Amino acid sequence: MIYGSAGKDHVPGKPVRVTINGRQYRAEEGETVLSVAIREGIPIPHLCHEESLDPYGACRLCFVEAGKHGKREMVTACTLRVAEGLEVTTDTPTVTKHRAILLELYLAEAPKSEVIKEMAARYGVMKTRFLKKMETDDPLGGKCVLCGLCVRACTEIMGAGAIGFINRGPYTEVNTPFLEPSADCYGCGACVKVCPTHAIVMEDSGSERVMKSWSGTRVPLAQCDCCGRYYAPKELAARTLSALDPQLERELAGLCPSCRGKQIAEREILARQGGAGNHA
Amino acid sequence: MDSHALDAIIARYDVPDGRLLGILSEVQEQEGYIPHDVLVMLSEKLGVRLSRLYSLVTFYSFFSLQPVGEHMITVCMGTACHVKGAEMVLSALGKHLGIETGMAQDGKFAVTTEDNKFTVTIARCFGACSMAPVLSVDGNLYGYATPENLPAILAEFGWREHES
Repeated sequence: MIYGSAGKDHVPGKPVRVTINGRQYRAEEGETVLSVAIREGIPIPHLCHEESLDPYGACRLCFVEAGKHGKREMVTACTLRVAEGLEVTTDTPTVTKHRAILLELYLAEAPKSEVIKEMAARYGVMKTRFLKKMETDDPLGGKCVLCGLCVRACTEIMGAGAIGFINRGPYTEVNTPFLEPSADCYGCGACVKVCPTHAIVMEDSGSERVMKSWSGTRVPLAQCDCCGRYYAPKELAARTLSALDPQLERELAGLCPSCRGKQIAEREILARQGGAGNHA
Repeated sequence: MDSHALDAIIARYDVPDGRLLGILSEVQEQEGYIPHDVLVMLSEKLGVRLSRLYSLVTFYSFFSLQPVGEHMITVCMGTACHVKGAEMVLSALGKHLGIETGMAQDGKFAVTTEDNKFTVTIARCFGACSMAPVLSVDGNLYGYATPENLPAILAEFGWREHES
């Protein structure tokens, strides 16, 4: 299987009650406060959270005040597991103040990101006092907040490990080793999908997918035998098919999902008509 | 504790990550730097993604991806040395060797002379603050460095005034 923890069978935990902003909610032991909040529609800002990956606590935006029996502390909601009687407040003045400063820092880190600008504006932060990162040839277009989701999706979910953190401190960036096109990249686009600030640029051009942010890595696309459309990265399509349905006939395996669907439906109809005809 | 229990503990630590830094530092020791093709080969041999190795190598200032010169000069830029004029020592060193040391603020900074004789880099603290400012050449420590006594130190390693 390509997928990690997300694909495992879910075993429900012990039911617990947790109080968020004065209201009681049902939750399962082992769930995080952020997961419960997302499910219940309680807004807690976050950047580095991804349901299919383990809690990471990198972006610090989901800070809440939480505790039991009146004893409270600031914790990130994404790493805080619910427990019976836990009380959480998502926006105390202290929390709001911290988030505003974090967002001001993020405005400096990713000055071109509209997502960050919008988030910051919600906390009344319109400009930053910190030195803005302004690189003209940044492959991530000044939008990366270094949350690490793309690196983790690539490594932990896809098992490709095509990208990683490079350098450290203020020079940290995410890219392919040696800033060269990567042979490990499947072109799956998981990085693009998980990126909270839409910083990663991926483009399909003819028979190739170009990972513009990842040193121009090029991945060949599979062409549908029927409609001629390029529908998925070649190697990834083959791997996925062999993992999900190794018995799939050659004839069907070379088709794009919509042609494959049509083909199967047509065969089904023909078989039924044929069957009906035989009986008549 | 029986052998079985001990194996269980060892197994928990038997991850490739634990030995990566040791392996990389030996490569660096033997080659003077980490060559591109060696890193690729290491990735294949250990079954560790190249991106992971590249992250490590670029994270630690100890590792260099660029070939280095015959002699490695490290100028301490720690607090005590800074106060005692390490900046001046570094720029004098640059002048003597004919290299640009202006961007010496990052730990990954290393400049090699054109004749491949010397590579200059910086460190944050040698722990020899009492002799500040300090520099080291090929692991030998030199205390109380000044722009004036640099030529004498460099001469020990075959440097001549007219060469720069």
